[in-house]
Amino acid sequence: MAQELIFEAKNLTKHFGPTVALNGVDFQVYRGQITGLIGENGSGKSTITSIAAGMQPATSGEMTFLGKAHSPATMIEGSKLGIGMIVQEQGTVSGITVAENIFAGEESRFRNGPFISKRKMNQEAKKAMEDIGFLGVDPASYIDTLDMQSRKLVEIAKVMYNKPQMLVVDETTTALSQSGREIIYGIMRKMKEENKAVVFISHDLQELIDTCDTLTVLRDGNLITTLDRDQMDEDTIKKYMVGREMKGDYYRADYGTPVSKDIVLEADHITSGSGMLMNFSMKVHKGEILGIGGLSHCGMHELGKVLFGEDKLLTGSITHVPSGEKITNTQTAMKLGFGYVSKNRDTESLVLTATIKDNIISASYDKIAKGMVMTPGAVKQFVDRQVESLSIKCAGVDQDVQYLSGGNKQKVVFGKWIGRNCEILILDCPTRGVDIGVKAAMYQLIDQMRKEGKTIIMISEELPELIGMSDRLLILKDGGLAGEFMRSETLDENHIIEVMI
Amino acid sequence: MSEAKEKSNTKSGARASLGGISKYAPLMGLVLVVIIFTALTGGKLLSVTNLQNMANQVMVTALVAIGAVFVYGVGNFDMSLGGAVLFSAVLGAMAGVKTGSIVVTFLVCVAVSAAIALIKGIFSAYIEVPFFIFTIVLGSVISSVVLVIMGSETTIYLKDAVREIPSFNFTQMTVINVVFLVIYFLVCLFLFNYTPVGSKTRMMGGNKVSAKQSGINDKKMHILTFVISAIGVALAAFILIIRTRTIGSQTAGSVGTDVLIALVVGGMPISGGPKSKISAGLVGALTVVVLNSGLTMVGLSTALIQAIRGIVFIVVVLVSSFSYRGKLLPR
Repeated sequence: MAQELIFEAKNLTKHFGPTVALNGVDFQVYRGQITGLIGENGSGKSTITSIAAGMQPATSGEMTFLGKAHSPATMIEGSKLGIGMIVQEQGTVSGITVAENIFAGEESRFRNGPFISKRKMNQEAKKAMEDIGFLGVDPASYIDTLDMQSRKLVEIAKVMYNKPQMLVVDETTTALSQSGREIIYGIMRKMKEENKAVVFISHDLQELIDTCDTLTVLRDGNLITTLDRDQMDEDTIKKYMVGREMKGDYYRADYGTPVSKDIVLEADHITSGSGMLMNFSMKVHKGEILGIGGLSHCGMHELGKVLFGEDKLLTGSITHVPSGEKITNTQTAMKLGFGYVSKNRDTESLVLTATIKDNIISASYDKIAKGMVMTPGAVKQFVDRQVESLSIKCAGVDQDVQYLSGGNKQKVVFGKWIGRNCEILILDCPTRGVDIGVKAAMYQLIDQMRKEGKTIIMISEELPELIGMSDRLLILKDGGLAGEFMRSETLDENHIIEVMI
Repeated sequence: MSEAKEKSNTKSGARASLGGISKYAPLMGLVLVVIIFTALTGGKLLSVTNLQNMANQVMVTALVAIGAVFVYGVGNFDMSLGGAVLFSAVLGAMAGVKTGSIVVTFLVCVAVSAAIALIKGIFSAYIEVPFFIFTIVLGSVISSVVLVIMGSETTIYLKDAVREIPSFNFTQMTVINVVFLVIYFLVCLFLFNYTPVGSKTRMMGGNKVSAKQSGINDKKMHILTFVISAIGVALAAFILIIRTRTIGSQTAGSVGTDVLIALVVGGMPISGGPKSKISAGLVGALTVVVLNSGLTMVGLSTALIQAIRGIVFIVVVLVSSFSYRGKLLPR
């Protein structure tokens, strides 16, 4: 089969100070193909695509795109040349309408004398959204009235409106529910049929195997190998990613372990302030891993927040059963031994500009300070213990958290709560955006805490980890309980998905 | 191509070494300002009289700026600090004149400054209006209230007191100044670096949501940081009263902007957060006072001095924002 090259990078290298993010990588993208990119956090996959799209310049190396030398200075230039990029982070501007977001920077095309025609813009925006199969949103409505998934789809509509020749999808799917993912898969298939190219970055192996024609594996800034369809299977890919053989199962291995009858936490007919949870009740047993799953707007993320006292309740109550105290704010929750890892690591769990040290101690002042004084020795001891036991990879604890890879950032968050020796840990998407090496470490850690008698509430959008880890699994739908499953070897995804949707 | 590579290499090298230097940049700025103005004034900048003069000015600016590190640290941009000094000084001086007691004067300074701090603290903790707008308004409200309270008088003289308030000679004044400043500086340094208060301040300024999720009581912290800052304000007001022995409606007029410039020149990120430091208050205050004094001695008009201060401010903000750019690794 004659393959037509659309993009090629030769000996592409990128340095950030002393850090080598990309080390002389040769990378090709062909028309009519979906090219997958995979690697652990910090392996350089986003670096390649962001250089191609013009977000940042390469330190050295050459690129060609559509047969011409390629070195875009900005993302706007990149997109004019025909590279469209959908990224993980939120890219919409709040306070303006959907249509204004789609045509941000291109308002003049709707110029009518000195005025911008809102009507024409809205019509065109509606068309742009219909083109990607995203229906049911009024382009004149404000972006803030949309949920996260719909905002992402607005971004996608914006990228696709420019009819890119090469589309980069960078870890976008983790933020989307199944219906949102289907839209992206549809777009990728369409690009392929039109003999255009797609570069797809994801941590989800199954998703990559299902969609990609070739899969390039990166590790520590080096290109390790490129696999064809028939070579792709999970174990092979993992082996290349990590550089060593990975054992098949990395969830906990035990079944039928009895769970204590004691109840530690009880939610009684709660309705959350945002209205995402409606009249919901549940009991949590001591020492169990309680999995909570559902589609992304089922209310499970809000449940995590109200259990920790972070969001207010409209009705009902949350009680810490052993003490009889009601959870109404985070201070009470923490005093009773609760910990909470948010789904939004960078915006809620960490202070990015602060050091690893400051972040790790930030939930444990009461544990570290004697009286009012926090001695450097006590702080160092506390921090070093977490850095060591979690093997956080860093140049030193005075390094800013923002320069760490996703997996290491998440380890810092875990360290912050494990250091407190929490009795009840609420984890919202604890393995989101971390690579399989760190994932495996997280699962071991969670299982270890279970063995120590800690109670874990694990909220997740990934069914395999819920099935693999939970003693009991609650599935939420539209703010209420849709189903309950006990740990079992025979529990399978399809059964749960039926209840979810 | 290789040329481009070399270029970017030296660039990243320069950036790396800049990171090391940037820690000392405020101190180097201070030394630079001293050298420049010593040269321009033919050494008069460092004459004994001028040193005394500058030392007096540094006291007020430094006391307020050091405390303000806490307030700015949590992310509260406070434009009413000059007003707070003025209000404390006016009421303190009036109380002194009425009672003739220096103790009462001091206590009134503390009480007034604490009351203003509480108002600001409660406002920033409970009311969701951009805080700096509130402080701008508060600042002008305070100046009007001062005018109302003072009525037809434009100046309060301590010599009018019912009983004589002791005056201090130069040596005594120096001792009081140094004791106040050193103790306040050390206490703040300790609080900021070796207690949870300081760490919480930095975390709140860095990311409010995360700080709250870590169990930091943000409302309490807002109020606490204002109270810490209020002590500096009260000390500054008291020193003004006993040194000048006259307080007018224009007293401390430039303190607000001096403090702002001092913090920025001293290396404090204006939005607060983890890179905040107490030394910024002291180093910055020294720099600003030398700058003010130097510019006056060179013979510039007040208007021109204002303009130059403005330019220095903008340049420092611009330069300090450079170091945040282009450093972030993409995941």
